[in-house]
Amino acid sequence: MLPIGQRITASLQMIKALLRQPASALGTLIAAFFLFLALFGGQLAPYPNPNDQSHNARVSPTLDIGSLQFGEHPFGTDRLGRDVYSRVILGASSIFRIAGLGTLFSVLIGSALGLLMGYRGGMFDEITGRVIDALMAIPALLLALVMVGIIRNMDFDIGSWQAELSNNVVLLVIAVLYVPVVARVARSATLDIKTREFVEAAEIRGETTAYILFREILPSVIPALVVEASLRFSYAIFLVASLGFLGFGARPPSPDWGLMVNENRGGYYQLTPWALEFPALAIAILVIAVNLMSDGIRRAVQKSA
Amino acid sequence: MKKQTTAPTNSPSRREFLQVFAAGAAAAVGTIALEFAPLAHIARAQADNTLRVAWLTPATLDPRSASGDAEIAVLNAVYDYLIETDAAANLVPRLAASWDLSDDGLTYTLQIRDDATWHDGSAVTVDDVLWTIQWHQDSESTVASLLSSVESVAAGEGNSLVVSLSEPNPDFLYNLTDNKFVILKADSENIGEAFNGSGPFILEEMIPGDRAILSANANYWGGAPAIDRLEFIYFDDQQAGIAAVQGGSADGILRMDNPSFLAFSGDVNFNAVDIPTSGHHLARIRADRAPGNDVRVRQAFKLATDRQAIWERVQLGFGALGKDSPIGPAFGQYFLADAEPPARDTEAAAALLAEAGYSDGLDMTLHVPNSGSWPDLAQALAAQWEPAGIRVEIQLEDENSYWVEDWMQVDLGVTGWGARPTAQLYLDLAYHSEAPWNESHYSDARVDELIELARSSFDEAERTAAYHEIQQILLDTGPVVVPYFFAQFMVLAGHVSGVALHPFAGRTNFNNASLG
Amino acid sequence: MMTPASDLLLEIEDLTLSYRIDKRWIPAVRNFQLKLARGQVYGLVGESGSGKSTIAMALMRFLSGNGRVESGAKMRFAGEDLLGKSAAEMRAIWAKRIKLVPQNAGAALNPSMRVGPQVLESIRAAIGIDGVEAERAMMRMFHDVNLIDPEKVARRYPHELSGGMQQRVMIAMALVSNPELLILDEPTTGLDVTTEAVILDLIRQLIAERDTGVLYITHNLGVVAQLCERVTVLYAGEIMEDDRADDLFHQAWHPYTLGLLGSLPRPGQNKRDALLHPIDGNPPALKDSSHACAFAERCAFAEDICRDVKPPLESLPDGRAIRCHRWREIRDGELHLVADDSAAAEPAHEGRAQSLMRVADLTKHFTVGRSLADVLSHSAPPPIRAVDGVDLALNAGQALGLVGESGSGKTTLARLIVGLQERTGGKLELLGMDIRNSVRERSPDVLAKIQMVFQNPQNALNPYMSVRDAIRRPLIKLRGMNPGDADAEALALLRSVNLRADYADRFPGELSGGEKQRVAIARAFASDPDLIICDEPVSALDVSVQAAVLNLLARLQDQNGTAYLFISHDLAAVGYLADTIAVMYLGQLFEVAGREDLFQPPFHPYTEALFAAIPVADPRHRVEATLLSDALPSAQYIPGGCRFHTRCPRAIGPICEEEEPPWRDAGAGHVIRCHIPIEELTEAQTKSAAGAAMD
Repeated sequence: MLPIGQRITASLQMIKALLRQPASALGTLIAAFFLFLALFGGQLAPYPNPNDQSHNARVSPTLDIGSLQFGEHPFGTDRLGRDVYSRVILGASSIFRIAGLGTLFSVLIGSALGLLMGYRGGMFDEITGRVIDALMAIPALLLALVMVGIIRNMDFDIGSWQAELSNNVVLLVIAVLYVPVVARVARSATLDIKTREFVEAAEIRGETTAYILFREILPSVIPALVVEASLRFSYAIFLVASLGFLGFGARPPSPDWGLMVNENRGGYYQLTPWALEFPALAIAILVIAVNLMSDGIRRAVQKSA
Repeated sequence: MKKQTTAPTNSPSRREFLQVFAAGAAAAVGTIALEFAPLAHIARAQADNTLRVAWLTPATLDPRSASGDAEIAVLNAVYDYLIETDAAANLVPRLAASWDLSDDGLTYTLQIRDDATWHDGSAVTVDDVLWTIQWHQDSESTVASLLSSVESVAAGEGNSLVVSLSEPNPDFLYNLTDNKFVILKADSENIGEAFNGSGPFILEEMIPGDRAILSANANYWGGAPAIDRLEFIYFDDQQAGIAAVQGGSADGILRMDNPSFLAFSGDVNFNAVDIPTSGHHLARIRADRAPGNDVRVRQAFKLATDRQAIWERVQLGFGALGKDSPIGPAFGQYFLADAEPPARDTEAAAALLAEAGYSDGLDMTLHVPNSGSWPDLAQALAAQWEPAGIRVEIQLEDENSYWVEDWMQVDLGVTGWGARPTAQLYLDLAYHSEAPWNESHYSDARVDELIELARSSFDEAERTAAYHEIQQILLDTGPVVVPYFFAQFMVLAGHVSGVALHPFAGRTNFNNASLG
Repeated sequence: MMTPASDLLLEIEDLTLSYRIDKRWIPAVRNFQLKLARGQVYGLVGESGSGKSTIAMALMRFLSGNGRVESGAKMRFAGEDLLGKSAAEMRAIWAKRIKLVPQNAGAALNPSMRVGPQVLESIRAAIGIDGVEAERAMMRMFHDVNLIDPEKVARRYPHELSGGMQQRVMIAMALVSNPELLILDEPTTGLDVTTEAVILDLIRQLIAERDTGVLYITHNLGVVAQLCERVTVLYAGEIMEDDRADDLFHQAWHPYTLGLLGSLPRPGQNKRDALLHPIDGNPPALKDSSHACAFAERCAFAEDICRDVKPPLESLPDGRAIRCHRWREIRDGELHLVADDSAAAEPAHEGRAQSLMRVADLTKHFTVGRSLADVLSHSAPPPIRAVDGVDLALNAGQALGLVGESGSGKTTLARLIVGLQERTGGKLELLGMDIRNSVRERSPDVLAKIQMVFQNPQNALNPYMSVRDAIRRPLIKLRGMNPGDADAEALALLRSVNLRADYADRFPGELSGGEKQRVAIARAFASDPDLIICDEPVSALDVSVQAAVLNLLARLQDQNGTAYLFISHDLAAVGYLADTIAVMYLGQLFEVAGREDLFQPPFHPYTEALFAAIPVADPRHRVEATLLSDALPSAQYIPGGCRFHTRCPRAIGPICEEEEPPWRDAGAGHVIRCHIPIEELTEAQTKSAAGAAMD
């Protein structure tokens, strides 16, 4: 393993490379801004309770870009009299938590699986590979909907886990959904690395499979995983928003962006378009930003490789 | 005027922006076409004297199973009911020209009108009515169950129908107004597919999933309709129907969500009509077990709720303000207009909870059917209750399974009750301790007594007093919070007149409609 | 140079090329000069980083965006100023007059286009002919470059051709326009020695027929000696020495040229006779211009002046150019290269002759997946017989060299022994014990006894593991040391491969190729093995570094009494390090001989052909005709009878095609598997050797 100092230098270099391209720098900055919102949204939102309905309902946005006046309700209020600006800010944390943790779990599990598949090969790889291919042949959103449906309607009692599972079902779905994708990336990177002679040297030393996977192969696979993780993250954000929109994700009164778009469709779009437009804009900007960032990470990793 | 708060400075510029944006997006030719399209349509509609009404796609036209507005609308146009109700829930004669009640309150004699004929030209007789009743009883339809208190029906003198009851029922005639209770010709076959009715319109062609084309019945006993043709145009969702009306390809639409109606109501090209109904949404807590069995808890819920704010936000102020009982202004004198719900006071509510032993507040799950404006109502309630220490987690329920399985079991839930013709129905269905759908498991001896009194008394003053007292009890200590009665909506193009909206939209009559 | 002006094809003066690195311009080539005449073959020799390929790119005006030609340079091609040409003018020149053949032909060809259309397109661009005429020209060219069955080649995709065939297609494409100048950038690097010989032969023959000037860029002194009329030796972007090939190879005056020549093992030279003379240190990285002689750091003769003053490039009256403060002393014989350890390696352990490893009838057949056609016809394709019945014995402390072309199965044999692949048949004994198939089944004791040094130092070390960790791991894992002892031992091992202790904390990315290979060697020795498999351990290294690694391997073997299985396609390197040499062809051994016996008749005809193909670094011993085609049969469809008969220059008739040849004993453990009796072989080969010498 690289000593800490070198790790930090390497990371700094990557961040520098990332910030050198204008598009990915912009994407990274925007994504960082949203992360900031996610972490400190409670302090930043003018009305920290997302369900605060003490305002007039259906107030038009008071944001004036020309004079940079925010006014009382920059993004207006929705049909129930909730401050859309606060809700958009507060919604960042759930999307980051669900998409972020979901991606993290999928990367952890998927890379372990992919490493093992790539290194072991044979029947294990063949069977797991087929299952993965089959899973990946199903559109992600469809699979997600089916999984959410199944988990939500599960009829067995697992005590306190039930509520936990129910609350984090989207997180779980993302983790499960992206495991195959990450596993495939990890597998193909492993296929490349395992033919390197240092891996054979380890085999000749009689190292255990776990040692070879995690000490010899994993460090070389990490760059590919970082790229994939960032890409998965952007897809996960989109998926969380989509599920929220379709009513399969967060439930009311959560300030989930996808849910907000859904609730303000239909007749309400004519009355309070801003209540739909601002969360929709937030989704679009964040997805594009994370995509640009991911693109930059890919280039930075390729450059340093 | 409905309350709609807008910041005056920004609104116009925003609208302009959207218009400019839309214009930019559309090709110039398209824009011109859009502007002239409605006019062209009106001209054409007037030329062939056709009224086109948008509905959701009907699933069945069999009177035994028809239930939706679009389904009933066809039956209501093609067939006749014996009696119908008006917007104020008064009984209005239709095939039954008049009726009499015997002094013992057990025998009704309905005079079937002589001038009614079937579309095939034959006269409508009491035998047709008897056959229709028998047909419902043979197939054990819901109409048959409405007539369960009927001991016998028979033909009386001169084309009259004699109905004998086993016990007096002041609201009995309302049973005859049921949506499904259209009168069929004796020995009809292929019911639901062949339509030989006596109604104001003749079904010329049913194009499934597209439209129903009806022509005026020139021989209608009530006079030939002013329009030559009536078209029901079918859409898979409401927004598409609304768009059709906006675009001029339909002349009117009934039933829609509040915000869509609000958008129409400011538009001079349309005639937007709303009437209050007896339909309402409510939140109820089970009164047979903790915490809802403590009256102080129930009162805390009532104290923590601002009905006016909820009505204005969730219903945009359409319909009527609720007063925690199912009897609303649609029932005229039966409605206790002076009742004053307590002003929202969360501190008092919290104090009541503390008294009841919940000094840390309550944590409950609020079960909400996942459709329409119910989730909005739940969110509004949850937000209002929270400062009082009533912390609820909203659990959205799939309608298909919720009404079947959990609805009667859960402690705290939001329920919607559709419009009914009589106040008594609500009380019999849900508030009597032995009511079949007593969802709050409420049991109050005085209320039971009053319900039974109103059910059998023919003394209007006595009934009114009973209904008033029930409302007061429910408002003070009952298990429900009724924040509003919702409205029924209709939007017609400006050139359409003569249509009176019925609280049940499908029962709206079009035979007096005229274009021009 | 005595070249008449009219014959002068390319004239370069004062060419300085810089690259922009971290916002500074750093010269990669300084004051380069060259005069190339029509019909002349000019060699440009240098190690990696010497700037030789940069010069080729500059000649083609292909410099990448971060490179530039410094002002003052002159580059005249056939009297025209190349540097002043516009892009359009350069395109016309590329199309017809100057052609470049790059190192990796596989990468230069478009993988998604059949070969024929690609060549036709370049023909159209070069000489403007089309259709049948162009096709005829292509076939003529393919024929000229000895492509067998040109029609078939034209229909193939690049990946369906062997490396040698790809390179011939590239050469054909380059020559079709009859260019005035041909630049060959390492055209045979990465090819087998037999293929290399064929390609060199082809180039020599094609040039002889034309009036083309050739700039031949390579790191391989042997190739230069075989091909070039004149040679420039580059080091760190500067010309060190420039002279006629004959003079340069026999009377080099520059210490670097001397060092390069001294570090090459010649065929027949063995560690027992004399150690190689390696050049210390590593080729320099691109760095800012210093005021010292670029070679001073590694020069055995460096004095203070060398480190303070950059020597000028002196042009001598006899046409030689040299850049050294002390060339006169070298010319006069006052300075000699002396190896650090003048004593040759002692055969200290030879006496023991204890049997270490025996391999009996070892086979490895790879099954080939059945195609749809196979499934339908209920047949299975024959397996690939990579190793097909090998018997081998190795004594403790003995170095066994294994030579053969790529595809001969030598690497598979090594992997079977070390356990990275599972054998399909035969026996493997170590110290009298049966050894299990794969590493997974072998006990740590057995694992410790057999270790391996890999070919490619870039991949042999985990880039994310420090040198210390890389060496410590086998100590802990296989010798059961505690971390503290392992640490001390790791440093000792580092010292034994001549690396300073501070290398312990470095990562592979901070090491040069030679240093990496030293670490890999230290790692292999860490478990105190009885046998180390060395699979092409120096072929990926620079020439000047190879010698040091070979010497190191020789010394460590001597000190530790370790046996080697040394695999290489480089006969000279094998001959230098090995005590016994085995020659392998298509999965079988053809000849096993002691090092003294192998380099003189009798040879197996295949061995003889391999020898003939070696480009000897001596212009006076040029290979006049290759004995061997480069068409190695597939191991899936091995010819019947003697499997060499399809290529054998000495085949004696139907018996070779029908019967497997017997092992014939030439005495002293020297055995040859051939139908030709030993005496006849000896006689025929002695005769032809004498014939060659007379030429």
